[in-house]
Amino acid sequence: MSLAVVEGIHLAGLVDEFESILTTQDDAPDPGLTRLTPDPYPEDSDASREFSSATHDDLLDRRRADAVLVRAGLAPFLTTAAEDLAEDDALAPRDVEIPVLEIDAWLRTLTALRLVIATRLDITSDDDDHDLEDPRFGIYDWLGFRLDGLIALADAADERPA
Amino acid sequence: MSTPIVTPEVDETVDLQAAPLEPWQVVVWNDPVNLMSYVVRVFRTYFGYSTEHATTLMLSVHHDGHAIVATGPRETMEVHAQAMHDYGLWATVRKAPQ
Repeated sequence: MSLAVVEGIHLAGLVDEFESILTTQDDAPDPGLTRLTPDPYPEDSDASREFSSATHDDLLDRRRADAVLVRAGLAPFLTTAAEDLAEDDALAPRDVEIPVLEIDAWLRTLTALRLVIATRLDITSDDDDHDLEDPRFGIYDWLGFRLDGLIALADAADERPA
Repeated sequence: MSTPIVTPEVDETVDLQAAPLEPWQVVVWNDPVNLMSYVVRVFRTYFGYSTEHATTLMLSVHHDGHAIVATGPRETMEVHAQAMHDYGLWATVRKAPQ
């Protein structure tokens, strides 16, 4: 996958933020986190509690492990702070090498970032309009664009003989 | 062709009704965030469904609001639901309607 230098820097920042949400132990969890751990038994609170206590922490551990891989893959982008980059350098494309075994971690993490942002933007139905004044919609759409591109690359890689 | 050397003793009194194997289902629900291409990929790679079947399931999620993506024993369905949650899909587990 190819990203502009400034994109890589911003994505690394988002992944950092995401990791800190995952790590924060709080009685009132981030609503974005709630979306990442849906209730599998909405009509049976006992079964729900049982499932959640058995799986919740493991699920967040796997999310953290995914995020760590993605963050490590973005390390080459962080040699210069975004504000110190000349415009040409900031927009220069740079390849990110993603090993086949790490593709799912990338897809899950980009998806999780979009889910968390969507929760904050209150995107709850297919008909919700984008408020073009709100820069977070720009980030949300940009992540969607990059995710879609990565899915196409991953699907194409599956079709190549090993 | 051969005939069995011993005839197994069958306990005719076992009551299969006592522990019915009721099928459970994993249901994936529509959400406005996940990309169609992503949902198809998850169904294809995780469940091993063909692209065609995965696409049909994705379209039912999108148009009907939900789709049954797997049916089987409860424990297995819970494992699948967890995997769907890992992928960020909104999945629930329920007893198959009789």
